[in-house]
Amino acid sequence: MDKILAKKDFPEWLKKLKAYRVYAPRKQDDVWNYEPVSGPDNVQLADVMTAVPAKKIVFPQREYFFEFRETDDNGTKLTELLPEDNPVVVFGVRPCEGKAVTLTDKVFSGEFEDPYYWKRRNATTLVGLACVNPPSPNCFCTSVNGSPHSKEGLDILLTDLGETFYAEALTKKGEKLIHEGQKLFKDPKPEDKKKAEKIQVEAEKKVRRKLNRIENVPLKLKGMFDSPLWDEESMSCIRCGICTYLCPTCHCFDMNDEVETTTPLQGKRVRTWDTCQFPDFTMHSSGHNPRPEKSSRLRQRINHKFQYFVEIWQNYQCTGCGRCISLCPVGIDIIKVVEKVRDYGS
Amino acid sequence: MNAEHKSLERKNPFTPEPARIVRTYPLTDDVKFFQVRLVDMDKALLFKYRPGQFAMISVLGTGEAPFCISSTPSRPGLLEFCIRKAGTVTGALFKLKENSLIGLRGPYGNGFPVDDMKNKDIIIVLGGLVVAPLRSVLLYCLDNRDQFGKVSVLYGAKRPAEMIFREEYFSLKERGDLECHLTVDQDDTGTWKENIGVVTTLFPRLKKVDPDATYSLVCGPPVMYKFVIKELLKLNIPKNQILMTLERRMKCGVGKCGHCAIDYIYTCLDGPVFTYWDVLHMRELI
Repeated sequence: MDKILAKKDFPEWLKKLKAYRVYAPRKQDDVWNYEPVSGPDNVQLADVMTAVPAKKIVFPQREYFFEFRETDDNGTKLTELLPEDNPVVVFGVRPCEGKAVTLTDKVFSGEFEDPYYWKRRNATTLVGLACVNPPSPNCFCTSVNGSPHSKEGLDILLTDLGETFYAEALTKKGEKLIHEGQKLFKDPKPEDKKKAEKIQVEAEKKVRRKLNRIENVPLKLKGMFDSPLWDEESMSCIRCGICTYLCPTCHCFDMNDEVETTTPLQGKRVRTWDTCQFPDFTMHSSGHNPRPEKSSRLRQRINHKFQYFVEIWQNYQCTGCGRCISLCPVGIDIIKVVEKVRDYGS
Repeated sequence: MNAEHKSLERKNPFTPEPARIVRTYPLTDDVKFFQVRLVDMDKALLFKYRPGQFAMISVLGTGEAPFCISSTPSRPGLLEFCIRKAGTVTGALFKLKENSLIGLRGPYGNGFPVDDMKNKDIIIVLGGLVVAPLRSVLLYCLDNRDQFGKVSVLYGAKRPAEMIFREEYFSLKERGDLECHLTVDQDDTGTWKENIGVVTTLFPRLKKVDPDATYSLVCGPPVMYKFVIKELLKLNIPKNQILMTLERRMKCGVGKCGHCAIDYIYTCLDGPVFTYWDVLHMRELI
């Protein structure tokens, strides 16, 4: 279902979404992030890349699994703390982030489906905004099977036509959201569709960074386990973990108990984001660590994204948002590392 | 799109089931035996597992950690664990008395391929304190003795006091239907009547081995594998019939958290039992 929405009517649409908790990118202290929207006039949809990706809405940095409380009869009461069903809508989602959510969808499915993730995911409508101009100088979505107007994982894709948005509903959830706007949405004219397509094609050309010819990288990586490349490339790493914490596709987590009172024992089990870039990520309680050096951890990160994930899910675990490049304090550049893998020995 | 069709009817995989410690006593200075029963009796009896699988045990307020089940599914109802005091969760477990409440979820992992092992000869090689998972498969073989060929056990410990379940192994020596050879690196008691030396010194005692019809199961500290595998390869046991259970840091146990990922596999889903063939292909496995 394709529609047209005048930009001036956008706040009116938001006003009709009373049943939803609305998130959109907001700039605070020079940093953009997806934040709850305070009022319908405060949403600015532009080509920006938030620091923290939209994955935080469906897979928050910290969330509680259950609460435990000691009871008088020498027992323990355990209460699951599943997320509420309240619908959420996120505006301004970048197409690379929508695609990333399809990857976390895979991880959190399967025999042991993650109810916390899926409860949030099912309640969330992702309204993507096609990139007219690359929101980051390090965007490289077109090199990893993505595009500035990719529809994967999104419920609606908006394309900025200047005065209007070209709105494509991609799922039932998306149709429902457009339906909430009722008459604000008009049927597009053929020239609107043409204009949207033209903008989308132009946008692809504007993605400056490229990671070309990587089809053989998964195979190449297999033979590079012992390569000195990993030492060389990880030399400057300060082990901060930003590359993985702020990656829209990274999904590793930790689980811990937080105690509120000891008598009676009361507390919660919390899940928090974790990263394979920390040495204790793989440290056994015996002290043995199968991945002790930072070189082995950089190797793990690159291998996971460009080999292991491909073997399991037939997809790179990278959607080309460029955050790990832009935000790395020492300038480790995943494009350059993968290019070196590609060209290694040739 | 497929998100809209996800059902939430399935069980929450992160919620532990309440269980009670039925019995606990020390096996060595830092290893304790725990016999555990799920509080819900129906669930306790229906808890189905394969030898070699593991469970996540919670001490609420401290955390959760994975432990191999060392009892056998052929004796349902109670679950047994041999736990070495090593970290925060095990530290908290060691303080718990009988009848204390813990949390348990599982079973997880692949376990030993007991169906493929039927009618085959079994050589079990144990080293040091890390012997819990092989106790499960050994008891399973003994409970179903007619389904397996020859069963041999080789167990090496540092000192007699560090031989876990040594009474069980001494009584196995009395049985006529299996070979059981025990050794210690050094005897500090002066009363040890068995072999002295590392576990590989027991290999010459194995009676005629038919390698293609043999499965060998190995469990011990990482340093032991290299030497034991060398002996097994000398006997011409096929690489995919040498099985070992490996340790890995884990958090979720259900293939999501990423901690136990090696190569494209997750130890919690695809392990913890691996063949020597796997180990040759996955470099960070041990």
